[in-house]
Amino acid sequence: MSAPAVRPGQALPVGRRRGRRAPARPRVPVPRPAAARIALLAAGAGLGAATALTFTAETASQLRTPGGPATFAGSLTGMTGTYLALMMVLLVSRIPVIERVLGQDGLLRWHRRLAPWPISLLVAHAVFITVGYAQAARSGLWHEAGVLLTRYPYVLIATIGLGIMCLIGVISIRAIRGRLSRETWWLVHLYMYLALALSFAHVIVLGPSFVGHPLTRAVWSLAWAGTAGLVLAYRFGLPVVRSLRHRLVVAEVRPEGPGVVSVICSGRRLDELPVAGGQFMLWRFLTRGSWWQAHPYSLSALPQPPYLRLTVKAVGGHSASLASLRPGTPVMVEGPYGAFTRHAQVRPGAVLVAAGIGVTALRSLLEDLPRKSAPVVLLRASRPADLVLGQEVSDLVRHRRGQLHTLVGDREQAGIDERSLRQLVPDLRRRDVYVCGPEGFVAGIVDLVKRLGVPDEAIHHEAFAL
Amino acid sequence: MKRAAWYLAAGAVAGFAGVLGLHGRTAPAEPRAAGGAPGRTQPSPSAPSSPSGTGPAAGSSPGRATAGGGTHSVTGALEQFGYGELAVRVTVTGSRITNVTVPAIQTAEPFSRQLSEQAIPLLRSQVLTADSASINGVSGATFTSEAYATSLQAALDKLHLK
Repeated sequence: MSAPAVRPGQALPVGRRRGRRAPARPRVPVPRPAAARIALLAAGAGLGAATALTFTAETASQLRTPGGPATFAGSLTGMTGTYLALMMVLLVSRIPVIERVLGQDGLLRWHRRLAPWPISLLVAHAVFITVGYAQAARSGLWHEAGVLLTRYPYVLIATIGLGIMCLIGVISIRAIRGRLSRETWWLVHLYMYLALALSFAHVIVLGPSFVGHPLTRAVWSLAWAGTAGLVLAYRFGLPVVRSLRHRLVVAEVRPEGPGVVSVICSGRRLDELPVAGGQFMLWRFLTRGSWWQAHPYSLSALPQPPYLRLTVKAVGGHSASLASLRPGTPVMVEGPYGAFTRHAQVRPGAVLVAAGIGVTALRSLLEDLPRKSAPVVLLRASRPADLVLGQEVSDLVRHRRGQLHTLVGDREQAGIDERSLRQLVPDLRRRDVYVCGPEGFVAGIVDLVKRLGVPDEAIHHEAFAL
Repeated sequence: MKRAAWYLAAGAVAGFAGVLGLHGRTAPAEPRAAGGAPGRTQPSPSAPSSPSGTGPAAGSSPGRATAGGGTHSVTGALEQFGYGELAVRVTVTGSRITNVTVPAIQTAEPFSRQLSEQAIPLLRSQVLTADSASINGVSGATFTSEAYATSLQAALDKLHLK
């Protein structure tokens, strides 16, 4: 890999772009809330339909047979549980039209909140079906479980799938997840696709709603095939296409503060990358140790062809390893993702709040705001040295006729509370609130501004899960 | 977030009603056969339900049926087997079994119904060949075979045959 013609240190006058505008960047697709609404309606309709299918496959007399009620409960929990599992996959399939509205952050929150449901419903399904069949056959529960596993087609592999699901469910419980590295957790999480694939056949072959109903069978199969297609297209295909188009390589790694580095990548045709300030990408650095894992890091500046910059604080194994990246390392990317952009703004003004390394997304968002937008920017840090990119932010704020307030110190002295917020942002009711930082900080600020009367649609946040 | 829940709920109601509505329109009332439970009865795929006897004794009055007297049909008792229940209807001409059908079968779940329905034609041909309820049965459908044979025997007993 030959060295770039211009040294990146000189070539990236980030934040000082004035006078002649850079070549027009591609139009970033604007989020359309209607898309999310349609998706919600469709998701609800699917749930209703899946539930109704179990009812149409059932008759009153069947309910009166021995084991009838348990068997019915089994198919009901099975159908709804499987349907919710499908939704779980769709929530992380990164469909751009939906992602743009709800943001990766929002989608993941839904994914996390929904997660316990499919797993417990499917466990209930297994229990109910075993109980129901045992009652019908007038045999013992364990004997019937054995019969189900050995005699019924695909039940054994579906049970293995359920076991994998439960295992993943258990390690995703907050207390346990905290003890695993993100990498391990992510890798184990991938087995969910295997678990779902294993369970598919027994649904189609044994499900009362599908046996003898070629139409529902076809629709159900299509729904799963479509979901698999979306996952392949948006989690695999699009990133590969983008990565090949832009051919990013590491150009320079530059220290920004204690434990914080900027990685500057160079690539081709970056003017074609549809990115808005405040978005992040999933980065995969193709080194021997970490080519298999992609991590989300915010762009800390809008692209300046041929350069793209991310700024990262070392908090985990992967982020710490970035400091030792060598120039020339190839980079693959997914994204850009995130609804934390100026397109989400609903009021005339904006106040931008960031804590710690959250400044990175704030920095690129700020760069994307129009000239006279007069943003109020609040930067929170425990130590002065943690105020990374401070000079750039200050330049950008000045250039947009805004105000910058830095709050440095411990939480008691320099925290953001009702009083300080009212004082620093007297016209809060005219501004959207953008918050970026660690989860706890973001939750705190969101609560605070809600209490102060800022409506949900004017609050935008991007939280970093550590 | 609250509005999202409303959209979901509205979609769910629409989807639920839609499927039930479609089902109501495309699935006419299922035929009901004697001795079977409504909605669950499935005639045996092997033969059309034979009409009642052409002779003087119909299935409803098996007491008078005797060997050698025309064609008679009678339905045996509803037999429980491991995964459901079934009843067998037999048609006898003279002293020969000329047809066997399953007017009523009910199973706990569709897989068992499938298995039974696969077994029933085989059982039928075994009966017609053996001309009696002493059949080997179908392996893999032991319970169904036993219930089939028992119900058949009950029907034959009603006809005072064999």
